[in-house]
Amino acid sequence: MAEFVQLLFNGLVEGSIFGIAALGISLVYSVLKLVNFAAGDFLTLGAFTTFFFATNSHLPFIVAVLLSMLLGVAISLILEFIIWRKLRKSGAGMLALFLVATGVAFVLRQSIALIFGSNSRKFDIDQIKTFEFLGAQIAQAQLAVLCCASVAITVIALFIKKSTIGKNMRAYSDNPSLASVSGINVDRVIIATWTISGAFGALAGIFQGTVQGQFTNGMGLDLLLSILAAVVLGTIGDAYGALIGGFVLGIVMELSTWDALLGGIPSTYKPVVAFAVLVIVLLFKPEGIFGVKARKI
Amino acid sequence: MTALMQPGFWVFILTMSGIYGIFSLGLQIQYGVGGILNFGHVGMMALSSYTMAILIISHGINFWIAAAAGVAVAALGGAFLGLTTLRLRGDYFAIVSIAFSEIVRYVIYNSDGLTGGVQGSLAIPVIGENYPSYTDTWDSIMNRARDILTPIFGEIADREFVMAIVVWITLGILLLIVSRIERTSWARVLRATREDDEVPAALGKNVFRFRLQAVIIGSVIGGIAGIYWGLESSLLSPDDFLTLVTFYGWMILILGGATKVKGLPIAAIFFGFLYGGSRFFTFWPFSHLDASQRAYVRIMIIGIVLIILMMRRPQGIFGKRQEMVLE
Repeated sequence: MAEFVQLLFNGLVEGSIFGIAALGISLVYSVLKLVNFAAGDFLTLGAFTTFFFATNSHLPFIVAVLLSMLLGVAISLILEFIIWRKLRKSGAGMLALFLVATGVAFVLRQSIALIFGSNSRKFDIDQIKTFEFLGAQIAQAQLAVLCCASVAITVIALFIKKSTIGKNMRAYSDNPSLASVSGINVDRVIIATWTISGAFGALAGIFQGTVQGQFTNGMGLDLLLSILAAVVLGTIGDAYGALIGGFVLGIVMELSTWDALLGGIPSTYKPVVAFAVLVIVLLFKPEGIFGVKARKI
Repeated sequence: MTALMQPGFWVFILTMSGIYGIFSLGLQIQYGVGGILNFGHVGMMALSSYTMAILIISHGINFWIAAAAGVAVAALGGAFLGLTTLRLRGDYFAIVSIAFSEIVRYVIYNSDGLTGGVQGSLAIPVIGENYPSYTDTWDSIMNRARDILTPIFGEIADREFVMAIVVWITLGILLLIVSRIERTSWARVLRATREDDEVPAALGKNVFRFRLQAVIIGSVIGGIAGIYWGLESSLLSPDDFLTLVTFYGWMILILGGATKVKGLPIAAIFFGFLYGGSRFFTFWPFSHLDASQRAYVRIMIIGIVLIILMMRRPQGIFGKRQEMVLE
């Protein structure tokens, strides 16, 4: 029982991180029809810049987090202006978008490696402090991440649901041409999308760095597959679906290592579990948990 | 700079270009004809080279049978990928195919008993002995060929030289076969499915089956590239098969013009120079960087080339723009 509670809790924490990162990818896809393969490296960037601001520049942790989110937004917007806007205007197809996103990922990842080196980093946070809950050891850092992530998820879900920009975003993703003739400011919608994606990417990276303790410049890339699985599981382009997909995957991946389930699988295979779940879901319900048709033929 | 002057280095670049060219040809038949976005192609290379090495080292099987088995396993991998996910929309397939190759890599990484895991050695060598080799048969063939070629070409004809010739002959034969295939009615149906599913389906063509066949053929070609990769590196590591490699293949494909095969060898050579030649960026401003930093810069440059290429000339050097925009 204690182990079950432990794994469930770990799964919730990991799921909240997947959810936040997946939401950014799904939102970008819904508005721009772009699968952002560089998203994983935005996570890495957020963690490394936070480390830099907090540990090297001795800023308060919260300030470092905010600065990193700001930097994530800035880079996302710069890329929008120098690359994505031009590609959209030239009517680039799916392949061009995929490959450019990959190119961006290469450049971003190697820049991080070049600037920060290949050593692993660790936030100046007490990782060892735990308390007992129903027999499980709950780390304070994990609990803090879960709380902050829940707040962030609530805020963003309400923002997309209630705010004018959020409504415009949903309208635009449903029907771009109708939305733009109805007087929706398309540029503002796109900027808002990249802002959310950049800020939440950095935030997810910081959360992951906190939970994981040590992190290297491959962190985001290692997570990208599980995050993409969450995105597809919740139907690409569905922001709420991505959040739920994230939680489902986080919990399934953790529970799959449970001894009581036929001994559980080795924890190194967790990403494989993420995709096994994904493939099974796609086979029987190709539209993802919620949504639209993904099966074409 | 002295290494740049050595012919051996350029022969090595030529061999690598040829292997990447074969690899990319597998993508060509999938995307260039069928419009299928397979981003997990490197998985087929991993399957074939590891299958070959395991069969030779752990089971003592004849090299030729092991190599054929490797290619067959790659074909099975393609069939599995296609059967499970090819019914999905293009963007879904792209994501799931990346996952496929990453899962192959994860399994190789973690199955120490079968593959040697992180060490990449397939088996721990006995102290005082070398890593178990799966290239003995191949090496003896190479050496015999070298002995024949040395009187003709002189000093330059070493093992690498023979390897380059064999790889490029293979690429040439495969190019001929693929361009033959692309003139068949099979390819015309497949090309029609690239533009639109409904019309070929209305004509009674099983779109799914055509696409599946394209993925399997592409996987066989990717598997052949994997065999050469294994023979060239003679020590396999899961890190040889990062998703990065798939994108190298895509870059060659786009450079050469995705819908035509004739640009592919030139694009492969260009990539080979970019990949291998950037090792020698020892001049300013790169002179401030150490060797590992230069490796970062190399991949960064490849990323930048990929971005600029897709923004400025998505049809590649030889391709037709109309065929690329209509995806």
